[in-house]
Amino acid sequence: MTRIHADIDALKGLHDALVRYRHAQRDVTARGEDQLTATRASLAARTSRLRAQLELAQAENTACQERAAQADPDDPVDCSGYARAVQQNSERLEQIRLWQQRIDAEAGEFSGIAGRFADLLENDLPRMEEHLVAIIASLEAARRVRAPVSGP
Amino acid sequence: MTARPDQDGDQQLRLLGDAWDKAAEHWRDGPAHQFGTAQLTPLLQESRGYLEALRTLMDLLETAERETEG
Repeated sequence: MTRIHADIDALKGLHDALVRYRHAQRDVTARGEDQLTATRASLAARTSRLRAQLELAQAENTACQERAAQADPDDPVDCSGYARAVQQNSERLEQIRLWQQRIDAEAGEFSGIAGRFADLLENDLPRMEEHLVAIIASLEAARRVRAPVSGP
Repeated sequence: MTARPDQDGDQQLRLLGDAWDKAAEHWRDGPAHQFGTAQLTPLLQESRGYLEALRTLMDLLETAERETEG
């Protein structure tokens, strides 16, 4: 009896595995999208923070330059620290902008592949599951027909 | 620590492959062959392609976060 139904049991196991796979990979795709959204938000927040720091550094540098212009030549004002802060903030902003561009390009390429995979999960996989259910039902029906009738 | 989605996806792919191997031990008729070649193999190939692209993207996001922090 075990051997007769081993194929049906195996098919039921495969069907269950396909259902689990569909749900698990849906979760994977959602988490991938979430991660992309989170990183974009994180870079946008860093950009916003750095812009504020850059504006402050520029204002401080400008004020320092004005003080330097009016300072006694024997007692010059050193504005190099402010100038360095402006430069560092500008460089970091540019670095983030380049990363944002790169992420956008990669995400654009990824979205085509992700779209096809999502379509597979939503449409093809349920059809495969239904196909397996039909095969299982057909095998079970055939076994019932062939099963010997017990005598009285 | 939560695993990256691409790593979880790889694990799920392995589990499905194992389930197919197990089923194939007992299900070896014509429909089994047809199911394997026409349905399951394309599914596994498409899944591998997606997970590879997801891995590349996750690597990029991690690097971007690391390189721009501070």
